[in-house]
Amino acid sequence: MAGALARVIRGTKTNLGIVGPLANINNVPVRFQQTQAPPTKSKYGPLADQDRIFTNLYGRHDWRLKGAMARGDWYLTKEILLKGTDWIVNEMKTSGLRGRGGAGFPTGMKWSFMNKPSDGRPKYLVVNADEGEPGTCKDREIMRHDPHKLVEGCLIAGKAMGAQAAYIYIRGEFYNEASNLQVAIAEAYQAGLIGKNACGSGYDFDVFVHRGAGAYICGEETALIESIEGKQGKPRLKPPFPADVGLFGCPTTVNNVETIAVAPTICRRGGKWFASFGRARNSGTKLFNISGHVNTPCTVEEEMSIPLKELIERHAGGVCGGWDNLLAIIPGGSSTPLIPKDVCSTVLMDFDGLVAAQTSLGTAAIIVMDKSTDIVKAIARLIMFYKHESCGQCTPCREGVSWMNKIMYRFVEGNASPKEIDMLWEISKQIEGHTICALGDGAAWPVQGLIRHFRPELERRMQVWACTHGPSMAEKLY
Amino acid sequence: MAGTGRETVRAAIRQVRPIMSTDFWEARRRALGLYKAFYRYIPYIVKYFDIPKTENDCRWKIREYFYKNACVTDIRVIDLLVLKGYMELKEITHSWSQKGHIMAYWQPTVERKPCDFICKFLTGVD
Amino acid sequence: MLRQPLSRALALSSPARVAPLAARRYADAVPAQPEKVEVFIDDQPVHVLPGTTVLQAAAQVGVEIPRFCYHERLAVAGNCRMCLVEVEKSPKPVAACAMPVMKGMRVKTNSDLTRKAREGVMEFLLVNHPLDCPICDQGGECDLQDQSMAFGSDRSRFTDIHFSGKRAVEDKDVGPLIKTIMTRCIHCTRCIRFASEVAGVDDFGTTGRGTEMQVGTYVEKMFLSELSGNIIDLCPVGALTSKPYSFAARPWETRRIDSVDVLDPLGSNIVVATRTNEVLRILPRTNEEINEEWLSDKSRFACDGLKRQRLVTPMLKDSRGNLAPVEWEDAVVAAARALRDCPPDKLLAVAGGLADAEALVALKDLLNRLGSEHVCTEHYFPTQGAGTDLRSSYLLNTKIANVEDADFVLLIGTNTRFEAPLLNARIRKAFIHKETDVALVGPKVDLTYEYTHVGDSASIVKDFASGTSSHEVMKRLQQAKRPVVILGADQLKSEEGPALLAYTQELAHKLQENLQDKEWKVLNVLQRTASQVAALDIGYQPGVGQALAAGPKVVYLLGADSGVVTRESLPEDVTIIYQGHHGDVGASIADIVLPGAAYTEKRATYVNAEGRAQQTLVAVSPPGKAREDWKIIRALSEVLGAGLPYDTLDEVRDRLSQVSPALVAYGDVQPNNYFAQARALAQSLQKPVSGKLDVQLKQLEDFFMTDAISRASPTMAKCVQAVLKQKNSPY
Repeated sequence: MAGALARVIRGTKTNLGIVGPLANINNVPVRFQQTQAPPTKSKYGPLADQDRIFTNLYGRHDWRLKGAMARGDWYLTKEILLKGTDWIVNEMKTSGLRGRGGAGFPTGMKWSFMNKPSDGRPKYLVVNADEGEPGTCKDREIMRHDPHKLVEGCLIAGKAMGAQAAYIYIRGEFYNEASNLQVAIAEAYQAGLIGKNACGSGYDFDVFVHRGAGAYICGEETALIESIEGKQGKPRLKPPFPADVGLFGCPTTVNNVETIAVAPTICRRGGKWFASFGRARNSGTKLFNISGHVNTPCTVEEEMSIPLKELIERHAGGVCGGWDNLLAIIPGGSSTPLIPKDVCSTVLMDFDGLVAAQTSLGTAAIIVMDKSTDIVKAIARLIMFYKHESCGQCTPCREGVSWMNKIMYRFVEGNASPKEIDMLWEISKQIEGHTICALGDGAAWPVQGLIRHFRPELERRMQVWACTHGPSMAEKLY
Repeated sequence: MAGTGRETVRAAIRQVRPIMSTDFWEARRRALGLYKAFYRYIPYIVKYFDIPKTENDCRWKIREYFYKNACVTDIRVIDLLVLKGYMELKEITHSWSQKGHIMAYWQPTVERKPCDFICKFLTGVD
Repeated sequence: MLRQPLSRALALSSPARVAPLAARRYADAVPAQPEKVEVFIDDQPVHVLPGTTVLQAAAQVGVEIPRFCYHERLAVAGNCRMCLVEVEKSPKPVAACAMPVMKGMRVKTNSDLTRKAREGVMEFLLVNHPLDCPICDQGGECDLQDQSMAFGSDRSRFTDIHFSGKRAVEDKDVGPLIKTIMTRCIHCTRCIRFASEVAGVDDFGTTGRGTEMQVGTYVEKMFLSELSGNIIDLCPVGALTSKPYSFAARPWETRRIDSVDVLDPLGSNIVVATRTNEVLRILPRTNEEINEEWLSDKSRFACDGLKRQRLVTPMLKDSRGNLAPVEWEDAVVAAARALRDCPPDKLLAVAGGLADAEALVALKDLLNRLGSEHVCTEHYFPTQGAGTDLRSSYLLNTKIANVEDADFVLLIGTNTRFEAPLLNARIRKAFIHKETDVALVGPKVDLTYEYTHVGDSASIVKDFASGTSSHEVMKRLQQAKRPVVILGADQLKSEEGPALLAYTQELAHKLQENLQDKEWKVLNVLQRTASQVAALDIGYQPGVGQALAAGPKVVYLLGADSGVVTRESLPEDVTIIYQGHHGDVGASIADIVLPGAAYTEKRATYVNAEGRAQQTLVAVSPPGKAREDWKIIRALSEVLGAGLPYDTLDEVRDRLSQVSPALVAYGDVQPNNYFAQARALAQSLQKPVSGKLDVQLKQLEDFFMTDAISRASPTMAKCVQAVLKQKNSPY
């Protein structure tokens, strides 16, 4: 009872962010001051409903302006804007929000790069809604069911960096999502929430939606900027970074949809509230997409650092055939290396935890593969995807990924030599880090994951092939 | 370091094995001896080979051939040239060569190289 | 991907991007150089300006980092990844061609990581590169071959060659000059960047994505640029090669001789590659002041015209009126007789467009000794006012290299794109990198960059000169700190020519007076041929009109093939002596033909449009019985009895230096200054003008065959046909 009361008080008071949370320690309610750190958690468990940011993820409620406002969007936006750039950026830094698009770069730091005095060029915010990573479907839920979070987020993020407009680059295949988003933007314009004198705060801000045309590479920030400018979506060299020379040559920040969409809630409920979820330096909540061989694949918003096993068991109904039927999991979208069952049992779903397991969180798109999966074929299909989506600008990606694809398909049949496994490892190391953008890394990592954890499987196939067809031609040539 | 090297080389050159003469004056004596030998055989050349040249012509021709090699200073080269001259003298004195060979010394069919502009132009010489 | 639009947006034109030039003074007009940054390349410290890339800094130390896509004169692409080097404190290797240096950066160009990266990239390039070396023209001068030997692995690991094989790409047809074998392409995108930046014809691009990416024109289209041959030099592999030169020779078989091109007035420096006394191809030589590293198509590919239609024996008209081959003696005697029997005032000499300074001075000396003053050039220049006495009236006074630094260019009656392609390339360079604006008075032509078309009436120049024009270009001209006015010499042959020149001089003078920079020259006159400036320097009368009207009895044509002198314009009993190297217009009307040497066959002096004297060297010997031009004239003089006082080339050059020391100051441009005096003398000529300015070369098909050598070239003929065919296609 007291605990429930404490939770309610905590919820309302921290909306204003004045007083610290009321916590229950040894059953005694104690109010903590803002200055002291919250108690260290060890159990990152299920997210309480009050702490959910995306309250209409499944589309059960009205996604239009009325419904959004009823759920708490656009509440006190004007006050947040009037608090100013520095306050917003500070909140972001306190919250410890890390980019949700895959790279995990601290958002507060990223926005503070735009703080330089203007040299005459306008600044732009670009929202990366080109959700191309295989396995990822979180942004589309936000855009078709909760678009106002995104629109408000654009406004607040734009204010934080002094941008004059936001461009939301949405992938061309998302027709429905783009349509909902455009309606939401139109509603916001009509209600005076964006456009001239947004929310009555004196800040002029425009939001534009730009539809892409079906290229995964346009999800890379500089390729995205090139695509909006009307050119071929080929990534640029960095340096110069987009914060110096970006869209149309002006300082630009590119952020993922989820990052921008959680920004207003962070500003309302306080950065510290957001930082209270997850481990240090991996704070906040995250939308996890669980797909593959699970009983109820879904998209859930959960706390960071939740154990992977709990996430799957609780929300996705467990692996088909039970946890022991699990073969491997790809934790963060296809660009991340897979982790085998024994690692999955203990790993925590956050940036640092997965990096320690020699993989990475990426976009938190969990692809579960049980023992019925032909793991080599699965990885080979992923490499075929990368080969198809490579822009062709730089040599390692263009030639190397295509070569890896050919080798992987031979590994599927087994028509290869065991020496080629090491060769493939070296090739992937030659691609990783030597390319203009991260697509090369994204193609190299799954292969490395496969070789690291499933080498015996590869060798077994080669032996089976050699038994039935004689030694492979590859033995003779290398 | 380099200086001593050069001197050793020079000394080595000085000590090269001579062919016949050991110094310049001896070589000069040999050359003059050859000249005199040729000079004295001129009347016999004119008579025995029945060439349409006078003795004076022969004398001037010998003079011309000797002057062609006037600038040679290397003693071994002088020695060799003298030896070759004696070989030719032997061929003449023994009548091993005929009228044609003697007349060839006047090189009747050799075209003169053009020396003035218009000749050079017409023949296409640079 | 491309940095050029960004640099224009930010006005980033670092001095290092524009290749450094020792003799140019205007590059230093950049206010106070920023402090240099210290960088360590392989532990060697070097101080460089901020903004230089690691690759440029290494080049300063002498360390050559291998690369395919980087080129100093093009925007940085950074997509071959061959230039990856290890930089301390960086987890990944860094593309040296794109990374700007930072203070204290330590770069290791020979560490394990760097070497592995290079081997890796080389391995990837060779995975899909066809095994064409034996049949590829680029063998021996191929960057891929050289770098794979130096930096690549010694064995192939591409086991898939026996499973799925290598990629194959269709060839693209881009014209009769460039042979494309796109399977060999390594997608360095140098051709794309050249076509879009330097040539201005944005036809090249990439289609497709990933391994399917192909470089080409997407629809089959000829590459319609007068600088198209340069992509052959740029392509590091054998994907783009020269079609006329295909399968002709290997580079180690050829002898390379430095020379100068005479098919356009700029005198681009070239290298003539020969084998067994045959000119195989012509390549550009780097000269920062004239042609940088580029060469126009005509200069490059017209060399096969040197083998056709050649005059190889002296010829005389026999009793039936046909030209019959004779020996030199007979021809020289016949010519001398004709010259001797002619009264001095009826003796005329006309110099053509490819005549060298030695022959010009010999001819003038001969005619003067015979008592005649009628030595003329084919192209006209007004002799009223200052005429050709003041050198600054007929030269490009702002030198070609300095046009790059101009901030406003006014073109009057000239299509620089086809008359002097490399000057146009400079103007385009200024247009892209320095925001220079261009205005044109004349017919509307495509110059590869945007310009303000003021009109085509000559009176516009009058309005500009008198300051009464209300056009916005007038304002721009007056405000410009470094304006350039270029007048085409063709416009001066009409009756209004002198007035036009006078007005242009007035305008240029007015602009020059108001400039802060006292060294900057505004007035430029662009001549049409390589011999015009030398002829005017030596003292030839510009233009034959008057002399022809006087009815000469003997006409001596020194390579005069532009059709100005015709049998109809001359009296019936005239004797025409033609001395030249091709059987073109002049030889067809001649009575006596004396075969001369073309520019690759003689050591000769040519003065370019800026007034810079340059010499060609002997690459091959003249064919048949042809002789050097000045020697023919000297032989004639000897037979005539009026012997010229020089027998060797050096003596002729001494005579040239007597006439004007500028003619033998090879490689230098003398500063010319008599603008005020020329204008003063021309003031009386400022009469009202009303004509329309028109240029001869308007379209690309006019560009290819403009003189005797290019008219004889089958390659040039193919180009004209291909351009006409392309014009009819819908793309």
